[in-house]
Amino acid sequence: MIVENWDSFYQQAVDLYRNNPLKTRFVTKYRHCDGKLVLKVTDDSTCLQYKTDQQADLKKVEKLNRVFFELMATGQAPAGASEQDHFPASNACSYNDQA
Amino acid sequence: MLQDNSKFLNELLRMYQANRELGSVWVTMKRTNLKPRRSKKDYSGLACHCLVRATDGRKKLSTVVEGRDLARFNESYSTILKGHMDSLKKRVRHAAKLAQQQ
Repeated sequence: MIVENWDSFYQQAVDLYRNNPLKTRFVTKYRHCDGKLVLKVTDDSTCLQYKTDQQADLKKVEKLNRVFFELMATGQAPAGASEQDHFPASNACSYNDQA
Repeated sequence: MLQDNSKFLNELLRMYQANRELGSVWVTMKRTNLKPRRSKKDYSGLACHCLVRATDGRKKLSTVVEGRDLARFNESYSTILKGHMDSLKKRVRHAAKLAQQQ
């Protein structure tokens, strides 16, 4: 499934990971000659993709990288990128349920 | 083949350089507890690490990042990305402004 909106991609990606931490993988594909970057997050049953050719998106990608590194290596989201930044309070409880 | 973090980053850098003209580079990260695949022993107590793999379709690289090496690894990785993903488009607004000036 291709997600056009970054925020919704970010949110769904982290969601997917939290539902199944040991099965979910995060793939970054970069093709220099076409100037294209594709992000994919999948647990083999759901697949989320975000495609971009904009330099400006690199910052967001960097942030997502950091979140995923942190989640995967320590099991916790980084302190700097608190979920409140990205997720409104109404979503917060659903995260606690899944955790 | 599992490599240590700095070697992986060096090889990744080279892989990005080698695929500038043609080709794609995939970088995958996932959580792993480094448990042998077919083992029946209980490994659930093992801490998790982040397994990072990279491939261009010909060569494969992989490394395991542990929590304490995370900040350093992430920093180097981001630097590599920023240095090499430079064929992406700049903002359109900016391009229009440049056109006006000319």
